[in-house]
Amino acid sequence: MSEAAPAAALVPDRVVLPESAEEVQAVVLEAGEAGTRLLPAGRGTWLGAGGWGVDPGTRSEPGGGGEAGGRSESGGGTDNPRIVSTERLDAVHHYEPADLTLTAGAGIGLDHLARVLEPNGQWLPFDGPACDTGTLGAAVASGVSGPLSARYGATRDNVLGLEVVTGDGRILRIGGRVVKNVAGYDLVRLFTGSRGSLGVITRVSVRLFPRPDADVTLLFGGDAAGAVAAARRVCTHEVPVAAVEVIEGDEGGVGRAAAVAVRLLGGVDEVDESRARIVAAAGADPSAALEGGESRAFHERRIGWEAGAGVVARLAALPDRLAETLACARAVAAQTGGATSADAMQGVVRVKGSCGEGDLAALAEGLLRGRREMAAAGGTLTLSQAPAEVAARVGWTGGGGEEGGLTSRIKSLFDPDSTLAPSCP
Amino acid sequence: MIPKALAVSLTGICGPDGVIADRDRLLVYESDALTAYRHRPGAVVLPRTTDEVRRAVQAITRHGLPIVPRGAGTGLSGGAVPLGGAVVIGTARMNRILSIDAANRRAVLQPGVINAELSAAAAAHGLYYAPDPSSQTACTIGGNVAENSGGPHCLKYGVTSRYVTGLTVVLADGSVVRLGGQGREAPGYDLVGLFVGSEGCFGIATEIEVGLLPVPEGVRTLLGIFDRIEDAGRAVSDIVSAGLLPAAMEIIDGPTIRAVEDSVFAAGYPTDAEAALVIEFDGLEAGLDAEAARAAEFCRCAGAREVRSAKDEEERLALWKGRKKAFGAMGRIAPDLLVQDATVPRTTLPAILKGISEIGKRYGLVVANVFHAGDGNLHPNILFDRRDEDELERVERASKEIMQICVDSGGTITGEHGVGLDKKHHMPLIYGEAELDTMWGIRRVFDPGEVLNPGKVLPEETDPAARASRDDGAVGEKPAAAPAPAHA
Repeated sequence: MSEAAPAAALVPDRVVLPESAEEVQAVVLEAGEAGTRLLPAGRGTWLGAGGWGVDPGTRSEPGGGGEAGGRSESGGGTDNPRIVSTERLDAVHHYEPADLTLTAGAGIGLDHLARVLEPNGQWLPFDGPACDTGTLGAAVASGVSGPLSARYGATRDNVLGLEVVTGDGRILRIGGRVVKNVAGYDLVRLFTGSRGSLGVITRVSVRLFPRPDADVTLLFGGDAAGAVAAARRVCTHEVPVAAVEVIEGDEGGVGRAAAVAVRLLGGVDEVDESRARIVAAAGADPSAALEGGESRAFHERRIGWEAGAGVVARLAALPDRLAETLACARAVAAQTGGATSADAMQGVVRVKGSCGEGDLAALAEGLLRGRREMAAAGGTLTLSQAPAEVAARVGWTGGGGEEGGLTSRIKSLFDPDSTLAPSCP
Repeated sequence: MIPKALAVSLTGICGPDGVIADRDRLLVYESDALTAYRHRPGAVVLPRTTDEVRRAVQAITRHGLPIVPRGAGTGLSGGAVPLGGAVVIGTARMNRILSIDAANRRAVLQPGVINAELSAAAAAHGLYYAPDPSSQTACTIGGNVAENSGGPHCLKYGVTSRYVTGLTVVLADGSVVRLGGQGREAPGYDLVGLFVGSEGCFGIATEIEVGLLPVPEGVRTLLGIFDRIEDAGRAVSDIVSAGLLPAAMEIIDGPTIRAVEDSVFAAGYPTDAEAALVIEFDGLEAGLDAEAARAAEFCRCAGAREVRSAKDEEERLALWKGRKKAFGAMGRIAPDLLVQDATVPRTTLPAILKGISEIGKRYGLVVANVFHAGDGNLHPNILFDRRDEDELERVERASKEIMQICVDSGGTITGEHGVGLDKKHHMPLIYGEAELDTMWGIRRVFDPGEVLNPGKVLPEETDPAARASRDDGAVGEKPAAAPAPAHA
């Protein structure tokens, strides 16, 4: 029903910028008493995600009022959510390069963090959506991993410990800062990917990695079907690669319908050898080979691939179903004038598009159809960004995560009054 | 002994050979590999399918008895000890690999499959299962899931939870839930991640989906011999700081070397050395030699008197032998062994090792260290004879002090063995009331009646429900803690 009034984007009543876990606690307790709903955020990169339909243009500006309670950004009734941003919790608390671990405030920008690690030749290989300019806390809360997870593990595999303020105002310090720890139940994994629905993450300890000496990306151009087949060959090849992506359209940069980007990371000899064997297996020279800084920049640009898109969805199934998943994603992309980007190792395809002028009802139908097709093959379609009306009709996950009431009982344990991000998970 | 009616229904569910109620045959189920804790189970039941597990759980809970899930019983924290006359649900007959999906590098299996057997089966596809606890030829994947097991090669490849992508679980109320599965992208909370490492308190995993990796093309193994253990610790730190990522880095200290060399497992380590450091690199053949050469140089710079390298598989196994057989060899030189499992930040290793040695000397005890140095995961083993009461008391005090210096350095009380019965009283060293209350809460989300593996992981005195009932002046509902066993 395109003529129906679109569900209005919610206007936050305030953005608060606490400077300590105790201040976050005060904000949470106050919101609980007043019945105000809270949306935890970092820099606000993904405010549209999570079902709130908050206008992504609404974000805090650093420098303004820092105490708990913060300043009014815009007016609104009590129905409107309040944003609690961790942006000011941005200190590095502990960094011992030889331990390859770091503890920092959740609000530290991943761009800033990269600069802290660079002089020691180390990095945090988070390459999920918005992991270029977003905050560490947001990357952990979203829990969405990028193509490098095949080599380095998913986000959840590299989070060692957290400090969180739960929805009912308890400060918890869970996990630790050592790389191997099985003391007690794994609440760190529960919070990683919980999308702000259980607590506000205020501090994060992560595992770091040495930056490899060699970084090479081989780009193979071709038609769409050929690209998928080539990507699958690389994924099942004996040579371990760091990431394999199928990029359709101009963004592949090789002037063909599609490009397969194979990223090799490791020692110089190892990468040289891998390169030779991958090229031999492909049966053709790559259309382009990016080395060192060029390779790195290519992938760093792709982390921000979804930025500014009105609709973003993520389709996932087993990797050998990549062709089908990609076909399903293309159908959504066609509706939104958008594009697809596939992580062949994980079987994940991202879609981005715009929807300003389009028929929102038809878009919602298309997404639901895509989700049904994915579900029939044992896969999923999750929305990451969409206009409020579309999100309301499609739902962010389709409820696929609910299991025997466990999800709602867990939510009640941490956030009994549903103060936090009430539409998640 | 369980009520006759329960025995009859369990026999009906699992068949006569699937129920053990005979006193002598129950003996083996009294403890896990940490044999100081022993309690006789009410009975043992050995189901073959998810449905049999479900029906057994329902039958046992109808009679109000607790349940303890058990794999191969190789655990080192007393996690599988049946307290309060619990009925053990053993997974020994659930030992089938249901599928190996080479195209997607994953496998689905029953929980009783032995860790090493999964890798052996996957080898036909050029794949293997990465987590490799030292007990991998005996321990089960179900037990690995419960304990979130590690192993020497977790330095590079990560622990069990990285590889478990889906679970079918029977909960305490007899319901069956599917968590995750078909890869890693299940929406919603990471319930798979939460379940892994829950030590049998959340449910019984009856089907497990895991990720597999391609078998590395090449391996290089080195052995550094050191006159001072702190130097070996420094070599480890230097190698990691330089950006090298070995697959494994393991230290065996002097007392352990001598125990091994005096035993049938003699591996040819020099008995006057104070530390042996095993380093392994794997991956593509290209570049391995250069990496190994760099690591060898770091060992020499840190003061290694000798660095050996394996030229073939036979020599590689020889270099590993001293490490792999260390626990067995120590059994020869003392009747009892207290195994610790703390993890510390890698850079604190030299100081912690020195501290442990001083504590040992102060209490007149032999402390033998065998550990995953690359991860900072220590296994100081205190050798003693429990019949000597004075020694036993010194062991307990030394053990507590060692734990304390590890925690003070920023470490944790257990890196891979789990909390179980053995370390639950140490939990307040690293968690406050708020965290322990929350863990009690999570436990009750899965198992509100505390039917599954009661008395493990969380100390009773931290139970908010028990605190509340004490505050009411009522007598706590929970049974008293199990009689404190000799701490060993």
